[in-house]
Amino acid sequence: MPWYVHLALRQLFPTGRWFPFFTLISTLGVALGVALLVIVMSVMGGFAYEIRHMIVDTEGEVQVVARGGIADYPSLVKRVESVPGVEAATPYARDEVMIRFKDKPAYPVLRGLDLSSVERVTQLGRYVRVGSLDDLDDDSIILSAQLAASVGASVGDAIEVYSPLIVDRLSADEVFLPRQVRVVGILEIGHQQLDSSTAYGTLRLAQDLYGLGSTVHGIDVRLKPGVNEDDAAARINAALPEDIRALSWEDSFSDFLWVLNLERGMIFFLLLFIVIVAAFSVTSSLLISVVRKTREIGLLGALGGRPVHVAACFCAQGLLIGILGTAAGLALGFTALAFRNNVVLWITRVTQREEVLRRFYQFSELPSHTSGSTVALIVALTVAISTLAGLLPAWKAARLKPVEALRSE
Amino acid sequence: MSEPVLSARGLSKSFPSGDARLEVLRGVDLDVAQGESISVRGESGSGKSTLLNLLAGLDAPDSGTVAWEGSRDTGARRRASYLGMVFQSFYLVPELDALANVLLARRILGGADRAARDRALELLGSVGLAGRAHHLPSHLSGGERQRVALARALMNSPRLILADEPTGNLDEGTGSSVVDLLLGLCLSANAALVLVTHNGLHAAKTRRSLVLHAGRLEAPLTA
Repeated sequence: MPWYVHLALRQLFPTGRWFPFFTLISTLGVALGVALLVIVMSVMGGFAYEIRHMIVDTEGEVQVVARGGIADYPSLVKRVESVPGVEAATPYARDEVMIRFKDKPAYPVLRGLDLSSVERVTQLGRYVRVGSLDDLDDDSIILSAQLAASVGASVGDAIEVYSPLIVDRLSADEVFLPRQVRVVGILEIGHQQLDSSTAYGTLRLAQDLYGLGSTVHGIDVRLKPGVNEDDAAARINAALPEDIRALSWEDSFSDFLWVLNLERGMIFFLLLFIVIVAAFSVTSSLLISVVRKTREIGLLGALGGRPVHVAACFCAQGLLIGILGTAAGLALGFTALAFRNNVVLWITRVTQREEVLRRFYQFSELPSHTSGSTVALIVALTVAISTLAGLLPAWKAARLKPVEALRSE
Repeated sequence: MSEPVLSARGLSKSFPSGDARLEVLRGVDLDVAQGESISVRGESGSGKSTLLNLLAGLDAPDSGTVAWEGSRDTGARRRASYLGMVFQSFYLVPELDALANVLLARRILGGADRAARDRALELLGSVGLAGRAHHLPSHLSGGERQRVALARALMNSPRLILADEPTGNLDEGTGSSVVDLLLGLCLSANAALVLVTHNGLHAAKTRRSLVLHAGRLEAPLTA
């Protein structure tokens, strides 16, 4: 080990002292910055990850859509399924309806599913809490949990469904009766928006309600594991007529994802200032150390130490504090993430605000997803900033002439 | 005849003092042979430490030259192997124990292996500190600290030891034993010694005594 690294280690961890105050405080400052970055970036990443999961679980990774609907969908489904990388495809119809139960109305989106293929594409069955997708027929419906709660309906109840066609029929002086359907299931995805405003029926039921005949609104597509969504969408587009387009889920939600990434970028930038402030504290401590150790620095010169190595000794201290602080910060951050839901649960119980949290943040639990590239960026930036913090003290130390340093009082 | 271990010719050094310059050294000549011990005495402010710094290559003279075995290379890299220095204030690194302080000289030279560690322990033994190798400087007395500094100065088997008032912070008895130890170690290592001291008794123990007076090295008036 080079002498300047050895001396840097010894100055941070002198013989006989476990964790000196200067080292502890400097490391703690860096660690807190890293921990906050990890926690906040992971939770924000968790929101994005959960949203992706919910979209993919309920609608597949790619959607095929056409202005005015898709008429000959069975052949189109076959064509899409023949594209390399595609696992399965299922048609759907979706639009807003009004439902009413015991005079309580609600206005969900009713999504019509092709029961023969939907479970090959989506994971909807996993989210059905009461009943089953298999119980669906053309006269029944599955309600999302909060929607069911808001109208007071439960499994076995009969509810009325009003189609958007009612407006057309009324203007033509026709009598249009609502469709009576039974509730055969309650579904809970864990996302407030989906759980409060979505209902599921058969494709036939939706086509009847929307007056589509044999047309569908689109086709959901599931890809084989590891297939890139954008590449797959491009391949599907190549196999489709020009008026029908395939969009990856990222394309479909590109505006939302852009805003999410912008938020993450801004928060990362702002939280990085905690690390920068901690680095200033390291600089200040090391500068004091240079003044306090002036005669030792002179001694190193007298023993044959070169100025560049004396400088490296102080830079190494910044680097070591950066490495230690980063390691401690990662440990602290991941520990906090592991217990995040316990903390949130405790806070919501104490403040009796569990429902408020769900209503505003969409999720029943605080999500977390830590990407390797984000952690690598945090580690690289923190270690670099901490090392830079040692540069000014290093420069000061290197400029000291041994003969003047030895003479100093 | 072999080159002197240390050769200084016409060394002059002055420092700014108000609007004028204070001439501290005025053409100092000095040759030190291998294994020779020389003492340099002089009044406070006579320029003894300045001379030592010039001889060690730590400072540059206004004029004149310093050569170690005929070579004018007195840079840091060569200093690490050629020269050992002992100071009045010991200058031990407080975070390092006695053994690590001695080994520091070898680390700076490059590489502190098992053999170097054994030599450091042997040197600590030779200065009577075998049992205190793992004590921090703060746990050692003044005399013990200076003995650690002696061991450090000898760690790289230097050809020349420059000692700047090594007994200045020690009581008479301890100072005397430290000088005896220093002379004995230099003798056994065949290293030349330049000892700057105020103490006439210590100076008398060296082979040659010089006095720095009015910026020049002179022989003492009385032997």
